[in-house]
Amino acid sequence: MDFTQLLQNMTNGVAKGSCYALVAVGYTMVYGVLQLINFAHSDVYMLGAYFAYWPAKWMGYLPDEKGGRAQDVPLALVGLFVVGSMAACAAVGALIERAAYRPLRHSGRLAPLITAIGVSLLLEYGGQMVFGTEPRLFPTFVEAQSYDVAGVKFANTSIIIVVTAAVLMGALTLFVNHTRQGRALRAVSHSFNNARLMGINVNATITMTFMLGSSLAAVGGILVAMDQPTITPLMGLRMGLKAFVAAVLGGIGSIPGAALGGLLLGVSESVVAYWSTTYSEAVAFLILIGVLLVRPAGILGSSAREKV
Amino acid sequence: MNRLWMATSAMALVLLGVHLTACKQSSDPAASEDIPIGVYLSLSGANADFGVTTKNGIDLAVEEINAAGGIGGKKIRVIAKDTRSKPEEAQTVAKQLATQDKVVAAIGSVESGQSIKAAPVFQEAGIPMVSPSSTNPDVTKQGDRIFRVCYLDDFQGQACADFAFKDMKATKAGLLYAADDDYSKGLAGFFREHFKKLGGEIVAEATFQGDVSEFKDQVSAVAAKEPALVFVPVYYSKIGLIAREFRKQGFKGPLLGGDGWESEQLVQLAGETLEGCYFGYHYDPEDADPKVQGYIKGYREKFKKEPNSLSALGYDAVYAIKQAIELGGGPGRDQITEGLRKIRGFKGVTGTFDIDENRNARKPITMLKIGGTDLKKVKVIQPGDIK
Repeated sequence: MDFTQLLQNMTNGVAKGSCYALVAVGYTMVYGVLQLINFAHSDVYMLGAYFAYWPAKWMGYLPDEKGGRAQDVPLALVGLFVVGSMAACAAVGALIERAAYRPLRHSGRLAPLITAIGVSLLLEYGGQMVFGTEPRLFPTFVEAQSYDVAGVKFANTSIIIVVTAAVLMGALTLFVNHTRQGRALRAVSHSFNNARLMGINVNATITMTFMLGSSLAAVGGILVAMDQPTITPLMGLRMGLKAFVAAVLGGIGSIPGAALGGLLLGVSESVVAYWSTTYSEAVAFLILIGVLLVRPAGILGSSAREKV
Repeated sequence: MNRLWMATSAMALVLLGVHLTACKQSSDPAASEDIPIGVYLSLSGANADFGVTTKNGIDLAVEEINAAGGIGGKKIRVIAKDTRSKPEEAQTVAKQLATQDKVVAAIGSVESGQSIKAAPVFQEAGIPMVSPSSTNPDVTKQGDRIFRVCYLDDFQGQACADFAFKDMKATKAGLLYAADDDYSKGLAGFFREHFKKLGGEIVAEATFQGDVSEFKDQVSAVAAKEPALVFVPVYYSKIGLIAREFRKQGFKGPLLGGDGWESEQLVQLAGETLEGCYFGYHYDPEDADPKVQGYIKGYREKFKKEPNSLSALGYDAVYAIKQAIELGGGPGRDQITEGLRKIRGFKGVTGTFDIDENRNARKPITMLKIGGTDLKKVKVIQPGDIK
């Protein structure tokens, strides 16, 4: 057994899993509050990448003629593009909630679910109409470099992914557990009516949940595009599937669960890939089925907290 | 309930009627004023560059032919459909071309997976189909009306293995391909077989499935075995990402690919990571033949861009159909099919070739080296060179 390669695969898995986790948080937060699987979330992730792509394109950091080289984007501008994209995605998230889900707030659980699929398709196919379907080169936010530690290769982009994801998830946990808005969010997730009696603006809190989740998805989109710089309007499809699975695996509704589920899915995929790249995804999903058979609420989920 | 039943039966009747008229009209293809030729290509989607450049070549040839008075006084009319880079969609648009547009011949597609799905539709409708650049051997096995004007993957895979072993002096090679794609899987198989036959060893194989953009584990699996080169028969939209990942994981050896790498976007999507890598190409742009140089000049004038070999094959496919109409005696479906079978010594932009008894073309492959933003010819391999 080649331990260097196994270690390499686990490193790959942590980088992949961090991205799954960032996107999974969006699924889990919305589910925690509304018991709704927001299928459009992975398409907001796609928009996040495009919202960072366009300003860089307009400012000339991408080659005009095919064949030229992309120029490095200065760090200050990278920050601006990331924040801009987060803000734009937060706005899109709020808009989706206001236009598609709020009118259905009191109409059972099936109608919003079907609407979520509709919004997802709208963003995917609308995206293809507006952005074009061809793959596009994502601007160079970070020049790729690789480091070698005892035979295991670390790309700087992977390190940035893991660190950014860890920082954002930490900040989110602090926000949810130690701020007034976070407390409001937790209260709303327990009961709309009781939260309202405590003077909490339920609609505003739900809007905030969508904005938070969407801006994290935007960061996820940018991080992945930075590591794999070809973007398409359908890039959210596969990520959405993986992130959703990660959220369920960790226990949907639980934020630490999403982080754990993402990492677990990423690492198990990569470890299986040590033996076979062909079956890595299938085996990872088998693991998911196994976990859910033993713990139907997911690893950190508790069925008691679930409202009926 | 009664109204629902009425509506359903009315709808069924209408559908039946449409079907009957469609069948009736499609059995009479030669009666139209012009020559309707169906084209189905990936004009959008992941492989949009394939479809768009091929369509350019087709349009250029059709414009030339129509400007010179058409074929026997009849002008060619192109009906182009977009497959959105999806095999299933190719089948759907093939049905539209066969039944609604009543085409007398079809051109498409670039991706073998699409051609394999669409070919049975045309075969059943009695329409001859010419694939400009689908290289998988199974394409023309779909029926006796299915032709192609490009080389096949058995030859391409062998030529690449030959080039890797003899010219690049590699004895250890890695393979990375798409397990769910006819083209990628087929080509990898032919490379593997011939490379082993020559005495080389395949030290690592990794596959991926579906529309993925993340190849970390696949690249780790291959790079860990330290091959001298890696054969990556995928399409251009993926090779950039794969090459970037190889370089990130510190693999410095050359990558080798087939004709699927070809795109104006190739070097842009890959950045500097494909520097010094090689891939197979369908024609030799440095050929002094006036036909080749005329095509390059015409293409530059019309599209303000450099032509590539996919557009050259689209161009040749149109002229092959023109010659088939002349050889077969008219623009009917059966006549064109007969004419295509009779083509010998066809002088195209992509070389001079015969259509053999299996409806395939035997042609040389040109190996190109990527250097900076340029592609440089390094070798032309003839079908007879492979032993």
